[in-house]
Amino acid sequence: MTAIPTLAVKNAKKPARVTGHGKLAAVYLAPGMLGFLIFIVVPLIASLVISLFDWPLFGTPKFVGLENYTRMLAGDPVFWTVLGNTLFFAVCYTVLNLVLALGVSTWLHSLGSWGPFFRVLFFIPVVTPMVANALVWRLMLTDDGVVNSFLANFGIHGPSWLSNSQLAMGSLIAMSLWQGIGYNIIVLGAGLNGISPNLLEAARIDGAGAWQRFFRVVLPMLSPSLFFCTVMTIIGAFKVFTQPYLLTLGGPGESTNTIVLYLYRNGFSFDKLGYASALAWALFVIVMLITALQFSQQKRLVNYDN
Amino acid sequence: MYTWISNENDRAQWQAFVDAAKKKDPAFDLTLEGPSFNDYWTKVKTRLSSSGAPCIITTQAARAQELKDLTVPLDDMVKSNNVDVSMYNKAMIDGLTVDGSLRGIPYDAEPVVLYYNKDLLSAAGVKEPTLNYTTAQFTSDLKALTKDGVTGLAVPPGFGAGPGLPLAFANGNEPVKDGKLDLTNQGLVQDQQFAFDLAAKEKVAAPPQASDGSDVPEQQFMSGKAAMIIDGPWMYDTLTTKTQGKVGIAVVPSTSGQSIGMIQGSAFAIAASCKDKETAFKNIMKITTPEVVGAVGAARGTVPSVESAIKDWAGNKPAADVAVVEALLKSGRPLVTTPTWNQVETNFTQYSGDGFRGSKSAQEILSTIANSAK
Repeated sequence: MTAIPTLAVKNAKKPARVTGHGKLAAVYLAPGMLGFLIFIVVPLIASLVISLFDWPLFGTPKFVGLENYTRMLAGDPVFWTVLGNTLFFAVCYTVLNLVLALGVSTWLHSLGSWGPFFRVLFFIPVVTPMVANALVWRLMLTDDGVVNSFLANFGIHGPSWLSNSQLAMGSLIAMSLWQGIGYNIIVLGAGLNGISPNLLEAARIDGAGAWQRFFRVVLPMLSPSLFFCTVMTIIGAFKVFTQPYLLTLGGPGESTNTIVLYLYRNGFSFDKLGYASALAWALFVIVMLITALQFSQQKRLVNYDN
Repeated sequence: MYTWISNENDRAQWQAFVDAAKKKDPAFDLTLEGPSFNDYWTKVKTRLSSSGAPCIITTQAARAQELKDLTVPLDDMVKSNNVDVSMYNKAMIDGLTVDGSLRGIPYDAEPVVLYYNKDLLSAAGVKEPTLNYTTAQFTSDLKALTKDGVTGLAVPPGFGAGPGLPLAFANGNEPVKDGKLDLTNQGLVQDQQFAFDLAAKEKVAAPPQASDGSDVPEQQFMSGKAAMIIDGPWMYDTLTTKTQGKVGIAVVPSTSGQSIGMIQGSAFAIAASCKDKETAFKNIMKITTPEVVGAVGAARGTVPSVESAIKDWAGNKPAADVAVVEALLKSGRPLVTTPTWNQVETNFTQYSGDGFRGSKSAQEILSTIANSAK
């Protein structure tokens, strides 16, 4: 009796072997994955290891466990200041960038044949080196720079745009907006071009006004592009470095010191690679959490229906 | 040799050492490599961590503490080669001595001086300062000079480069005591506050931007927009030849008028990773003889570290200017720092805008820096 099932198994047809292209895919993927491994994964792990050491640029590293992290969270008031500055910059820059880029791209969309011309004009600062842009802005915003010289023509004594702690961060945000807004204008412009004119026409026939068409039709249809812009802009904003490094050096005081500038200095000026790595991991975790939070709200806020 | 090579001028300076040494030893040669001066202090650490690192590096008295792990003590080689280090400027030897051992052989000794525009002083009816200059007179002169778009003093935002530290040295106040930072000692705080007040209260100096390099105040001085500047003698040739108007130098003012010089200078050292330290030392001694440092001083304007070679640097310079440098070399003290000095300089530059604009006091700024750069 017990032999029957055995026989049945023996006589059963083997399932047809699925012949995929796994090996070929692996070969195609190898260069990219190798790059990802060497330039992303290995440095990521290395920085995690370094963050557990007191690691000078020259000399023998000393294992300190979690000391760099405890110092960062409990013993270094500058960390919380630079984190606050970075958050302030990221929120202001992202909100202003998206609002302005949306407004400008909508305006350019309605311009007809002049639209592409202005789009290129707005995009030029994006492809210009940040260092060159920052140096030009420095010439404009110094105490006796172009802006204050212009104001002086009207009898106005201009403020210290870069040396007044109330104005310095605003100056950095203004410069960053000028530099970065063109990218989102292009992305949102592409999103606007993808919206079917029939939808807008139908809304118009149904009696929807301009604002209603914008908020009820355009904005939902544009939400995938807006979502992409939001994620990328926030990530970029948290990594802000060149602007404070060249315009204010993080000053006056700590008013424009950001987390990337602070970790760069700890690593390469103050000889504290371990502490700099701990700061880098704090930044990584914060950006990862914010991005995860955004993606968790994607289904609720983003409309992918055509 | 690994050293700073910011531009062709730097390269020409190092080549001047080689050329001068070749006069005695035609076979002598050195291969030069290195980044800009600003990058040097970071890159020297990574370069010496890699294989095939050069044996000779350059250092400074003010950086000797920071680079102590990169360099080897020279005391034994000094003895075995019968080198008389007493011929070198004592302040520089003191500055290059770390934990009781000598870490470099100095080739220059540069006391910070006060440059002034003779034409602007004459136009304002201000008497030219010389070897005795009080801070009271200095303030009074700056007030008289500040008019018609000209400010009395040009100031950079840095600590060592800015007016505060040389003024503190002139009064005998230093930022390091017994190898530890002493930024909040009362004398130093008062002198730094005096420097801040020149811009914030007296309005005789334009407050600098944090991002200003030393070139910005130097440009102000050279273009005749500022009548005085505190700077090193390494700028002597540039400031005397490129300024609109004749230029003279004086001691940095002090409360009593008797100024103590703040001496900065550079040296050649042997990398800890060097395999043939004896040969490296012999090569260093070939480029630090009185003849060589004198020849480089004459050709490139560096003040020689050996007293007997000062005459080569002096050349055709006005006797009054030479007397100022000689007096400060005799009275001078080295700028000794700590391994965290880079942090002190960076933080000071970041905070100095508040000080020069009067929104923070020297006490607040120096206390904050002292706490963060422990």
